[in-house]
Amino acid sequence: MGLSIGLDTAVKALRAHQLAVDVASHNIANAQTPGFSRQRVLLRPVGLDGSDHYSRDALLGRPGFGVDARDVNRVRDTFMDFQARQAFSGQGQYGALATPLRNAEVVFNDPSDDGLSSLLGKFWSAWHDLTNDPESSAARTALVHATTTFTMRLQAAEGQLTQQRTDLNQEVAGIGNEINAYAAEVATLNLQIKQVELNGDMANDLRDRRDLILDELSKLADIHYSEADTGEVTVYMGTHELVFGTSARTVQAVDDITDPGMLKLIFTMDNDAVQVSSGELRGVLDARDQAFPDLIAKLNTLASGLINSVNSLHRTGYGLDGVTTGLDFFTGADASDIAINTALSGSPSSIGAAGAAGAPGDPSNALAIANLQLAANMIAGTAATSLVYGETLSAGNTLTALNVAGTLQPGTYAIIENPPLSGTLELQLNGNTIGTATPVAAGPGSFNITFTSGAATVATLTVNATAAYSAAAQVADLTTAGNNSLQVENSASTFYGNVVSVLGADVNRAVGLQESSGLLADHIDSLRESVHGVSIDEEVTNLSSAQHAYNAAARIITTIDDMLDTLINRTGATR
Amino acid sequence: MRLSEQSRAHNQVAYMSAAAERADRVQRQLSTNRRIDRASDDPSGAALAMQHRKNIAFEAQMRRNLQNGTAFLNVTESALDSATDVLQRARELTVQGSNDTLGASEKQNVAAELDQLIQQLAQVANTNFGGVYIFSGHQTQTAAYNVAGAPPVAITWQGDSGLRTRRISAQDSVAANVIGDDAFGDIFDDLIVLRDNLQANAPGATVGNSLADIDRALDRVLNTRADVGARLNRLEATTYRSEETDTNLQELRAEIEDIDIAETIIKFTAAQNALEAALGAIGQTSNLSLLNYLR
Repeated sequence: MGLSIGLDTAVKALRAHQLAVDVASHNIANAQTPGFSRQRVLLRPVGLDGSDHYSRDALLGRPGFGVDARDVNRVRDTFMDFQARQAFSGQGQYGALATPLRNAEVVFNDPSDDGLSSLLGKFWSAWHDLTNDPESSAARTALVHATTTFTMRLQAAEGQLTQQRTDLNQEVAGIGNEINAYAAEVATLNLQIKQVELNGDMANDLRDRRDLILDELSKLADIHYSEADTGEVTVYMGTHELVFGTSARTVQAVDDITDPGMLKLIFTMDNDAVQVSSGELRGVLDARDQAFPDLIAKLNTLASGLINSVNSLHRTGYGLDGVTTGLDFFTGADASDIAINTALSGSPSSIGAAGAAGAPGDPSNALAIANLQLAANMIAGTAATSLVYGETLSAGNTLTALNVAGTLQPGTYAIIENPPLSGTLELQLNGNTIGTATPVAAGPGSFNITFTSGAATVATLTVNATAAYSAAAQVADLTTAGNNSLQVENSASTFYGNVVSVLGADVNRAVGLQESSGLLADHIDSLRESVHGVSIDEEVTNLSSAQHAYNAAARIITTIDDMLDTLINRTGATR
Repeated sequence: MRLSEQSRAHNQVAYMSAAAERADRVQRQLSTNRRIDRASDDPSGAALAMQHRKNIAFEAQMRRNLQNGTAFLNVTESALDSATDVLQRARELTVQGSNDTLGASEKQNVAAELDQLIQQLAQVANTNFGGVYIFSGHQTQTAAYNVAGAPPVAITWQGDSGLRTRRISAQDSVAANVIGDDAFGDIFDDLIVLRDNLQANAPGATVGNSLADIDRALDRVLNTRADVGARLNRLEATTYRSEETDTNLQELRAEIEDIDIAETIIKFTAAQNALEAALGAIGQTSNLSLLNYLR
């Protein structure tokens, strides 16, 4: 009995160490495979009854029955996986936000010699040159060119930002497709892992693959997951299950009716919106829905401020012929379509440099427009004409509707009314009351309106009289430029300067967050990698100890063979 | 900490690219000579730099305005200088003509020279500079005075009182033109009367009455010249101030936007050394393996 057991033990040892060599070989082969977890042979001594390690043979003492090497486990820390995935979500989010913001910064290309800021300066300079030489056709042509260069650049900037926003929108659909592909693969792997592990085997490599996909998925969106006893993971995205057992749900990019032209991700099953708070999807949505609309709106405010301010003055000017008047300098309403009036670019002598009729040498209107450069604010909107000078308001009367192009940014605006009114005005934005305004001071008064909420798209800003005006209070002729206009705080260049520096600070913050979240993700990933990563030195050491053990086991077989030889051939032989 | 193959490779790449990125950043600064290339490099610095750039461009435009105004006023000044000469000669002729010893033909000679002076003064008053009649106010496409008849029988003012005001600094504007009617007054009418008197051999006392008219005109022109001179001084002082402001602004802008060459070169050398060290270390450690020591 003893010798044959010895042989059996030795064979088990051979098999076990052979397996150890195979595992080391597998580990070395996958040393550079992403997501691979190193594997270990679980060695266990075998006793007589399979659970007890010792035989109970009184004669032979207490040897065991060798080694059991059935299980090959992977070395993996699931808690670190959890931490790493959270970090990946953050990294994905800020990376997806920082990249488009950096691109937006390139669109502005400021501070530089050829940025929008410098082109705006050249626009004002051209007005000064016209002031110096109102009769000069060269100065007029130069103004047309300076204006065209500036407006085309403004249009291009708006176009590029809009295009980048459209690209971000496409990315939303792309991320949706990626999520679907990953979710489907997780579901398939759930099934395969369940089948393998039902047999009592370990599905190490399938689990590695699934962990890798969960890593990728967590870069796209902040997912949550839990593993069932069957080995299947359930993946949640927002409040919804994305993968449940062996079935995956799909998300779908559909047109967002609340934001025309933009896509939103919904779960196909119940049309619920996909909610994420971090990951690439969050970053892309933040850039698409906040950063870019905000930038575009600011460009529009700049453009409409210039259009309104310059036009209201230019309409009062006279051309070189002393007759032409009443022309707008700019056409268009915002940054997307701002352009010089073709009646002027085609005939620069019609530019209204003169302040009075029949005075070709009069530069006073050109000077007034050039002085806008130093003005404390721009006109954001001009009054629609519904009342004329001399009309008296009573309670509830609508004073006027101010037509404001584009979007209003939070900030303080002033309604300039001339002559001053007394009493309280109620302000309505798109029909909603946003507050009241009282004259700031007696005299040519202004009302300060402060928008504290986010950018508001303005169709009309309505000013209502809430208290009865004194009989003497009269409303100015609203057709007169400068009367009852809504103003943007800051001059065009200061406004634009603020846009660029705020964007710079945003980029700076996003890049900083991208870097710090990247460092965190890297750190956690390297900690994780230090647990499950393959070290060649280690595997070579394992390989060599397995080789030694294998050699030793083989020696046991030789030894037992010798013993059997002695027993069978040399013992009790008779000739 | 246990190091796996992948994390070793990952770390090596990370160290290398961090060192390369640092060197690249400094190199870009060196080659552009700019510390701030994008607003995000230093948002508050960029805001200041843009403010300075805007003001530098504004000051440059102000100097253009000043230059243009100075040229216009210089032309005006030299026209008024000629007018002074003409008027002084007219005064001499009047003194001469008021002498009763002069015969009729001699007075006619004086009258003939005076006629030349009238036409000369009219030319001065109708000085055209770059297509602009400088004394016409806003009616710059029309001569300041209409000269009727040859020899002239009437010279009439046809300009207006419009000023060509331009901005010369953020606080200040100045008119570059002088209104002909203010500078010359009724002198043409007065001189024509004088000429006709001489021609008609009027008595010396009658001719002598014109002296007061000419003296009044001389005063007028001299006052106008004083005004022009004062404006030119103002333009010169403002130009000087603008140039000083420009120097200051350029310095401020450079301080924010531009690099300190010496400092940046030292930084660059340091970054390069760091990169070389990182590459060297990778070369040394990437060959390390247990396999080298096993038979």
